[in-house]
Amino acid sequence: MFAYILRRLLYTIPVIWGVVTVVFILMAVVPGDPARIMMGQRGDPETLERIRSDLGLDLPIHRQYLRFMQEIIKGDLGTSYRTNQEVSEALIERFPATFKLAFWAMIFASVTGVAAGMLSAVKQYSLFDYSAMFIAIAGVSAPVFWVGLILLFIFAYTLNIVPGVGYGDGQLIYLLLPVITLGVRPAALIARLTRSCMLEVLNQDYIRTARAKGLAEKTVIIKHAFKNALIPVVTIIGTQLSALLSGAVLTETIFAWPGIGRLAVEALVARDFPMIRGTVIFMALIFLVANLVVDLSYGFIDPRVRYS
Amino acid sequence: MRRRNLWIIALLVSLAFLGLSSVGMAADSATYGGTLRWREINDPPKGDPAMATDTVSSRMILCIFDTLVENDPDGKGLIPGLAESWEGNEDGTIFTFHLRKGVRFQKEHMGQPTENKGRVVKAGDWKYSFERLVHVTSPRAYFLDMIKGYQDFVDGKATEWSGIKVIDDYTLQFELEYPFAPFVSVLAYNSFMAVPREDAEKWGKDFNFHPIGTGPFVLDKWEHDQKVVLKKNPDYWRQDAEGNSLPYLDYVEIMVIPDNTIAYQEFKKGNIDAFPDFPDEFYTEARSEFGELLQERPWVGTYYYGFNNSKPPFKDNKELRQAFNYAVNRELISELVIEGRYPAGKGVLPPGMPGYNPDLEGYSFDPVKAKALMAAAGYPNGIEVELQVNNNPRHRAVAEAIQAQLMDLGIKLNLKILDWGVHLDMCERAETQMFRMGWVVDYMDPDNFLYVLLHSDNHGAKGNYSFYENKEVDTLLAKARVETDWNKRMALYREAEQMIVEDAPWVFLFHYSTSLLAQDWVKNIHLPAMGDYYTALYNVWIAK
Repeated sequence: MFAYILRRLLYTIPVIWGVVTVVFILMAVVPGDPARIMMGQRGDPETLERIRSDLGLDLPIHRQYLRFMQEIIKGDLGTSYRTNQEVSEALIERFPATFKLAFWAMIFASVTGVAAGMLSAVKQYSLFDYSAMFIAIAGVSAPVFWVGLILLFIFAYTLNIVPGVGYGDGQLIYLLLPVITLGVRPAALIARLTRSCMLEVLNQDYIRTARAKGLAEKTVIIKHAFKNALIPVVTIIGTQLSALLSGAVLTETIFAWPGIGRLAVEALVARDFPMIRGTVIFMALIFLVANLVVDLSYGFIDPRVRYS
Repeated sequence: MRRRNLWIIALLVSLAFLGLSSVGMAADSATYGGTLRWREINDPPKGDPAMATDTVSSRMILCIFDTLVENDPDGKGLIPGLAESWEGNEDGTIFTFHLRKGVRFQKEHMGQPTENKGRVVKAGDWKYSFERLVHVTSPRAYFLDMIKGYQDFVDGKATEWSGIKVIDDYTLQFELEYPFAPFVSVLAYNSFMAVPREDAEKWGKDFNFHPIGTGPFVLDKWEHDQKVVLKKNPDYWRQDAEGNSLPYLDYVEIMVIPDNTIAYQEFKKGNIDAFPDFPDEFYTEARSEFGELLQERPWVGTYYYGFNNSKPPFKDNKELRQAFNYAVNRELISELVIEGRYPAGKGVLPPGMPGYNPDLEGYSFDPVKAKALMAAAGYPNGIEVELQVNNNPRHRAVAEAIQAQLMDLGIKLNLKILDWGVHLDMCERAETQMFRMGWVVDYMDPDNFLYVLLHSDNHGAKGNYSFYENKEVDTLLAKARVETDWNKRMALYREAEQMIVEDAPWVFLFHYSTSLLAQDWVKNIHLPAMGDYYTALYNVWIAK
């Protein structure tokens, strides 16, 4: 297993290199000069050249690339053109807020999604099943910004029972609405997937055998059916978590949440190349690590899975 | 007896009134303490005045730093800042500033003592602060390129900026390469602030996150993408009319709320005290709900569509350019798209700017004239033109409305919506046919509009994106720059503007407005002509 993890970690190197290179090329070909944006609408050509030179943007593209790769190898993500802040420092500063939001959103999504999906499968074609699946379809279809605004208007501005926007001093109450907003869509996806996987498993012969043996229905559902239906569910939880960890731009914008998503968008608008590259590398790493964790978790869920 | 009673009653009534008014005065008198929560749309990218080019950074910087001279809030000239007085020589090449005594740098920053330990600001600090602009490659240093020795200092041929002279501790002198009449106005620009050497050198490039100046507030906390907390500077130099110390407020919190809808709800809930640059979508509602609390006034700025005057079809085709100007119904568009908030533009200079000509005729909506001019221009059946607009809901809406209006004259306007950076790139390379642009004052002088935006020396990135060129206009504008007689200068600018309007290098569309919605418990908050971010907070107080 150790060899497997090591091999997977080694695979991340070419993937990161590929991502970094693609982003570098994209930034190089997309029009829009960061030095020009820094200067504002008006600027004299001489100062513009000095700024470009200070940023290394006057170098030939291959030298810019080599310089950039050398810095990456040294673990230096560079300095933001826009704010002069170290990119790694900016990411570290924003990550706790993003992590907190993503983590709790996935807890919310997993608990509600799995519970709703299981109950729907067990009580197939019941009122609960129809209601839960209707809500799930609505949850998948509803745009995040709409959900966020509706929740804010009801709970923060009409009922006045939760704070509206911001991070506060990190109190959990500030998390409530952003977590629900962000968690609704993954919850709906998980509910639908759990239901279909459970239905498939519940029709298997070994479930009939378990019931025939006289096992309690609870044991059949949880121990025999759910455990076998879990692999696709875990996969989707993993991919959703990694997507949320790399920043939830709309939720962060609506709730004025100081996370990585907003950082990335502001960097894109300002053509802040180092910050864009930093956030992309960070997101790629998150995806790779999350996928690795998901793959490793299969072994714990299904003993037939072996790592070699 | 009855008469005496009447006198007594009259006296009592008068006393009662006096008593009431003094209560009223007491209710209106300034009180110390409290926090003002000011909403901004994003985190300030820059805290270092030398590097800032955006309005959000400027909002914070103007709380922390001071300039030598300041713009009068109503745009009526300059008022003293850290310079008590100043004078220029006859030919406008030497300007001497007499500095205010006893002004101190901030002795505290983020709860820690500063390196400067709250020492007094002297002329040498100003020389350092101006030279630092070049050392850190300030995007605004070139505003001062008329000061003698600028180029040598930039090129590293000189160790100091020779045109900036410390005469004594409280006298600073600038010697210019050539006469430049608007020089003192330029010094009011918010990059040219006093910076303490010790702290600037201690923090290096991180001075951007550790700004320390002489202003009414010191930086207390900066939680990126959340809020900036500014705390009262107990050593601030300014006093109110009664000689009381300023500022009144204990804290200013710049709260970052990116979404306008949410920010407005937060305002209504009382979680925000001041909401600058109020959005169009809630304008009507806020106007009826909050009345005079929503302040709005003309902003010294102009919104226009530039023609590319260096390429066909607009090059050497004045009739075509004029036809476009006559074909646009500015008042209707302003009413329909931006709630009538932008007044129609007649020319280049906006209301409030010295030299503004209220009698300028400009172009009114006249489709018949427009049609005739189209025919005279060689396009009797219309024309197809690409209009490039930077991506912004308001700009897009205006462009779509104009597109619909021009269609009536057979003008097919193809919209090209681009990001700001790309938009600028293409405009400065003259790769557009028509483009949207706006200009808001840097310094209160017509030079900042007419010379920067329309002199042929400034083609491209320096400001003249329309690549307009008229030798006579160039001569007038160059002459105005060196003319020291105010009235003669204004006359030159008016003459130049008249010629520019006649040439129609732009579609002169609107003049901007600036706005600020503040809660009724926020007292003495006045929206200045220079824009909401210039709102002085040192004399604001909270009464609740």
